[in-house]
Amino acid sequence: MKKLCLGIESTAHTFSVGILDFKGNVYSLINDTFIPKEGGLHPALVREHHLNNFMKTINRALLDANISIKDIQLIAFSQSPGLGPVLKIGALVARMLSQLLNIPIVGVNHCIAHIEIGRLMCKIKDPLTLYVSGGNTIVSAFESSRYQIFGETLDLAIGNMIDSFARDAGLQHPGGPKIEKIALTSKQNYIQLPYVVKGMDLSFSGLYTAAKYLIKSEEYNKTYNLADIAYSLQETAFGMLTEVTERALAHTEKKEVLLTGGVAANKRLQSMIEYISKEHDAKFEVVPLKYAGDNGAMIGWTGILRFQAEGGHGISETIIKPKERMDQITIPWRV
Amino acid sequence: MIRKGAEASLYSGHWFEKEVIFKYRIPKKYRIEELDKKIRTERTINEARALIRVKDYGINVPQVFEIDIINSIIIMKYIHGAKLKEILSNIDNNKKQFYFNEIGRIIANLHKNGHIHGDITTSNIIITPEENIFLIDFGLHEYSDTIEDKSVDLHLLKRVLISSHGNDYKYCFDAFLEGYISEYKTIGSNEWKEIIKNIDAIESRGRYIKSEKRI
Repeated sequence: MKKLCLGIESTAHTFSVGILDFKGNVYSLINDTFIPKEGGLHPALVREHHLNNFMKTINRALLDANISIKDIQLIAFSQSPGLGPVLKIGALVARMLSQLLNIPIVGVNHCIAHIEIGRLMCKIKDPLTLYVSGGNTIVSAFESSRYQIFGETLDLAIGNMIDSFARDAGLQHPGGPKIEKIALTSKQNYIQLPYVVKGMDLSFSGLYTAAKYLIKSEEYNKTYNLADIAYSLQETAFGMLTEVTERALAHTEKKEVLLTGGVAANKRLQSMIEYISKEHDAKFEVVPLKYAGDNGAMIGWTGILRFQAEGGHGISETIIKPKERMDQITIPWRV
Repeated sequence: MIRKGAEASLYSGHWFEKEVIFKYRIPKKYRIEELDKKIRTERTINEARALIRVKDYGINVPQVFEIDIINSIIIMKYIHGAKLKEILSNIDNNKKQFYFNEIGRIIANLHKNGHIHGDITTSNIIITPEENIFLIDFGLHEYSDTIEDKSVDLHLLKRVLISSHGNDYKYCFDAFLEGYISEYKTIGSNEWKEIIKNIDAIESRGRYIKSEKRI
């Protein structure tokens, strides 16, 4: 019987369960994503959604993998960072399963999991990673036994910024894919927007405000339309992201570039990061879409890595850490 | 070509018999041309201006000889030496302290005169064989007198020290702050107190919050 790990992702809108063996073969992955009827992600509503549905998701994952819950030998869950009330659900379910089945439990940092699943799926060793999602915007690379953060947003995350703008423009959550589609219909009518890069850090709040005012302006739908704003917003924001990634690439001299997170699905961003990777003779990889967004498989895989390096966590060590930074954590499996 | 950076390519050569660097901000094809042209032109002008102005405060920077705005090229004096990033792990602690103390003074000197470097990293500091400290790469330079901008400048250095020189971070940053404060004290200003305090505020904003315990 193969050793199997069940990974639970519960940091934000997606409650996901992934089952994989200790070699990294994924047997099943089931996502259950909360989609708000209006507005953004209210933590209390997301928590209710996960609470109501977690058992269904676990059962479907077991069914898909064609195994019984008793075949699981390790439980991994997203311990940090994320929305507190939502993290608690994942932690609660993981603790319950671990004690019920009397098997080890491992808490995992969500951001590190994004990089580890990328390394596994894309078969690369030591990448510079651009991790872009609704909650995070991070340029990271492995240095002195940690995933160090070279650049990050000083305010809004890129996905959050695009989603918020989309909402202001009357589009339903999640707005990212819709903005990408609309931007393609622009006649490349570029409107100047704030481009803010500070060293390797970024700021999107000024860009967001400026784009929002463009919708409210009297010129809206006269000299420009929504497609033009979407196009300009993407060009500016992605230009900033690409610039800091290139800076970090020149600084760290890594030979691989990994693009991950929900926003990694954006084709325009992919082409820009691919371009600078070539410029610096680095191999470029995008994490397969299924594993780029939040998912339980990445939590399971990172849990396996940590478990193999230093064993499971005691139950008192499974406290959630909503604000933990990835560079606070040492990575024993890469030392 | 002697170096291909993220933003520009550096070529060495001669200009009226002087040994110079041609800093060429190459077009970035990943950006749309309109945005790219604007950024390259702005930064070229910005950098050249800043290099000329901060010289007035006795800060060691490469001398600017000529700029070509259309092609985004600055011709400046070749500074022989090594990047601090490259030598940091090979020098003893006294030397580190000495350099970071001096760097602290240099940055305070910029700040008190309303200049923000915008990209203080150990790659942008050159140590010459005579042990003079040169500051380079002013492409992200800004004029500002706000506490916030000055704090962000220090915050960026702190981040670079943590990520690239983790083992030396504490030692170096403390020496840096010591020099920074002492320079501010020479003009009897207490602005440094707010600037340094505000670094914590920046870190505690949004995604910079340190670990906290919850049950």
